Amino acid sequence: MTTILIDGIAYGMLLFVMASGLAVTLGLMNFVNLAHGAFAMIGGYVTALAMNRLGMPFLLTLPLAFLVPALIGAVAERMLYARLYRRSHLDQVLFSIALVFMAMTAADWLLGSSQMLVTLPGWLQGRFEIAGIGIGRYRAFLIVLCAVLVVALQLVLARTRFGARLRAAVDDQRAARGLGIDVGGIFAATFAMGSGLAGLSGALGIELMGLDPTFPLKIMVYVLIVVTIGGTASLTGPFLAALIIGTADVAGKYYIPELGAFLIYLLMIVLLILRPQGLIAPAR
Amino acid sequence: MADILSIEALRAGHGEAVVIPGLSLALAEGEALAVLGRNGVGKTTLLDSIIGVTRRFGGRLALAGRDITRLPPEARAQAGIGWVPQERNIFRSLTVEENLTATARSGPWTLARIYEMFPRLRERRANMGNQLSGGEQQMLAVGRALMLNPRILLLDEPTEGLAPIIVNELLASIRRIIRDEGMATIIVEQHARKILQVTDRAVILDRGEIVHQAASAALLADPAPLESHLGVIAKGAAA
Repeated sequence: MTTILIDGIAYGMLLFVMASGLAVTLGLMNFVNLAHGAFAMIGGYVTALAMNRLGMPFLLTLPLAFLVPALIGAVAERMLYARLYRRSHLDQVLFSIALVFMAMTAADWLLGSSQMLVTLPGWLQGRFEIAGIGIGRYRAFLIVLCAVLVVALQLVLARTRFGARLRAAVDDQRAARGLGIDVGGIFAATFAMGSGLAGLSGALGIELMGLDPTFPLKIMVYVLIVVTIGGTASLTGPFLAALIIGTADVAGKYYIPELGAFLIYLLMIVLLILRPQGLIAPAR
Repeated sequence: MADILSIEALRAGHGEAVVIPGLSLALAEGEALAVLGRNGVGKTTLLDSIIGVTRRFGGRLALAGRDITRLPPEARAQAGIGWVPQERNIFRSLTVEENLTATARSGPWTLARIYEMFPRLRERRANMGNQLSGGEQQMLAVGRALMLNPRILLLDEPTEGLAPIIVNELLASIRRIIRDEGMATIIVEQHARKILQVTDRAVILDRGEIVHQAASAALLADPAPLESHLGVIAKGAAA
């Protein structure tokens, strides 16, 4: 029971890191980017290829799994996404879903459709016991690392000058520019950061979710559910939603395998009926 | 004295609409200019065009001799224009202090000096931008613009919608900024008489064009042009 709870929390925190970039671009910048999962996939492939082909140790590949998608995200934002900020949400959906299919096809063509496997270092394999409760080492590693990321992300948004300028740009773009804030640059940096976090989560998620060219679509469902249930008014909502969805998904697949994969949709329906504005509703 | 701001044959508006058909204006270092006129004659469009958030159809602008015609608003602000927009546009999800520091640039105007000028902002420093009264918002907007340490300040109807006692307090601060600090300033105002007392010179706009300009003192001594262009002599005398 406790083991499942811990597995669920680890999975939920991973989902949050995966969804946080989307929560920021959707919640703060009001941009629907369904291709978010493609950046997660890129991060996953960076880690898998660096480990399997270059023989890099797992931990060393993680910064790369952040940087490469972040860089691609920055370029894509300036060249493609920036043109769609003022367009309707439908245009944004159509554009970004096309990117998903292009990314999937490209991955299939370049790397094949089979699952990518990675071997975690020995110290992350197996489990240890605390007070008779078995805890997977990798799950514990995920919880700690994701918790650090969550706190760091929250601090950057709430306490730094960058965070204040981002919030100002979101509040009132015209006034922000008139007061010297380079809104375009701030948005590009934010988008890159979100893409990087997605990439990192994709790398961390290989062990839990596997990695193949359909990854962006698989992930899209989860991150959209997290953002939908959580609401985009703050990061607290998606964080709670990710924990709920993660735990429910793991517990559901374990206890009621027949219902397993459907449980999260049921949960989403119930939560949206109870709180249509999301767990944490906008303050307005 | 060198011009801190010069506008030549500016043609500007919004979308397809031309609000200012062709306007030229120069402001000397340390000079304070009042822009007067009825509602809808293009006063706000003029200020918005100086910071660069309108559509420019023609003409050119220079700040301290540097051509800023093609600079986007953020670059103009960084070059030294402190903008206090008409709607104040306080960032609502930032605290009062963050509103002051998020866009600040280094220079003589510091947080301590802004708090000294507007002690009420210090009391409210941890409040969010959307929890302020109209007067506090206006003080914050002025403080925020000063924190950019600009070479020129643009004030768009700073006393609009404020209680008389707050108006006097704010005008005293503006006078201090202009007279004691020598800040070059353009003020758009409805209360002609009050603002003439703190400015050097005034222009009256009608349909986007300057129809009269004079020293502020001259307009105070002989308000006939105000009456003919604004029809506010009674209101001005009462104030």
